[in-house]
Amino acid sequence: MNAFLAILRKDLILELRGGRSTTALVSLALLVLVVLTFALERTAGGGPATGAGALWIALVFAGMLGATRVMVAEQENGCLRALLLSPVDRAILYAAKLTASATFMIAAAVAATIMAMLFFNLEFSDSLATLGIALILGALGFSALATLLAAISIRARGGELLLPLLIVPIFVPALIAGVKVSAAALSGAPLAAAREWVGILVAFDVLFIAAGYLLFEHVVGEE
Amino acid sequence: MAAPVIETHALGKTFGLTPVLQDTEFRLSPGRGAIVIGGNGCGKSTLLSIFAGLVAPSQGYALIFGEDTRRFGPRYRRRIGMMSHQSFLYPNLTARENLELYARLYEVSAPREVAESWLARLGLADSADDRVRTFSRGMEQRLAAARAMIHGPSLLLLDEPFTGLDFDGAARVRTLIKSALDEGCSIVATAHTPFAVEGIEFELYEIVRGQVVPYQEEDAPRRGRLRSLLRPRPS
Repeated sequence: MNAFLAILRKDLILELRGGRSTTALVSLALLVLVVLTFALERTAGGGPATGAGALWIALVFAGMLGATRVMVAEQENGCLRALLLSPVDRAILYAAKLTASATFMIAAAVAATIMAMLFFNLEFSDSLATLGIALILGALGFSALATLLAAISIRARGGELLLPLLIVPIFVPALIAGVKVSAAALSGAPLAAAREWVGILVAFDVLFIAAGYLLFEHVVGEE
Repeated sequence: MAAPVIETHALGKTFGLTPVLQDTEFRLSPGRGAIVIGGNGCGKSTLLSIFAGLVAPSQGYALIFGEDTRRFGPRYRRRIGMMSHQSFLYPNLTARENLELYARLYEVSAPREVAESWLARLGLADSADDRVRTFSRGMEQRLAAARAMIHGPSLLLLDEPFTGLDFDGAARVRTLIKSALDEGCSIVATAHTPFAVEGIEFELYEIVRGQVVPYQEEDAPRRGRLRSLLRPRPS
């Protein structure tokens, strides 16, 4: 637990000082939302479904940009090797990296949600809690998947190009579920109305957190 | 006789088609120091990385504290300290934060106080709250030495530890190495010349044709990989 907190604290300090991940995530989310607002305005006329779709597109694009940051930061001065040399369990290292990545993404999601509400003229209501659940589950699943794949891609030549090609197809089930839950939430429906989709998000998170926990050691192991 | 800290058997490492280490036999007894000399690209860093469990051998095996490096668990990693070409320091953290972080990862008690004492030992107390990004090469190298030793390892792997150090910095690091040896720590260091560790009781080795062999003074420093490979294999 001590090591987990030490690594997480270090990642948060580095982010606060550099601010590269969250700033990039929020900027890209803003850009995508602005473009989609103008692109969809005349055909779909806004609305919860469009807003939800735009929000998740923004999050996925921003998430891909931020996914590698947490792992790339460890490449400078060979710090990843130092972490691997330390007695810290690889699974703890994965958990800390996942938590840091998810924290940055949730921060970006909060900003993107506020922007989406404004751009798509959506109402702030009680169902925001449902939207919050969808976004947290989505960010967690995306971070679990991205952290694992980023650990693979940073070792490969051209890995940053490879990463989106690996992440997006795998994330599609969670993306569809996230859009469905968000659309339901933004149209004022209760959580129960989107229960099956929430179940898919939870299953996705459990699957990829478990996969990362078990596989991270092999992914970052010996060269 | 105490079991060796390091024992290799037919150790080899190949990168692609290029053999770097071949049939290497090497032993290091507890509390002893060894320095491996060789030119650029002859396999010194690879050898240390294998000992640290960071690189898997292509042939043979290396036992550290009796454990195969391929199966290194936290219990063994805790006993090793390594100084590499890379400093392993986070540029956007301060010197104190870096040392404190590693002290916590190695479960050192009172990490903040221990970090402070190491900064003082290496003459970096005045720069404790400066970010590593602002450090000179020599300051970073001194801090890297503290990082490698902060948890009191039983085996120190030092890859060209004096690189970039000025006279004062080299003297401080030399003192630290001597102290570690006096306290029973085993050390394997690498250098381009044996002069780097003058004044420290080290067994001298060199890498010839990918093999670690006792250093022969008359051959003097420094073959790179090409000259190392061209030289006849020792009988």
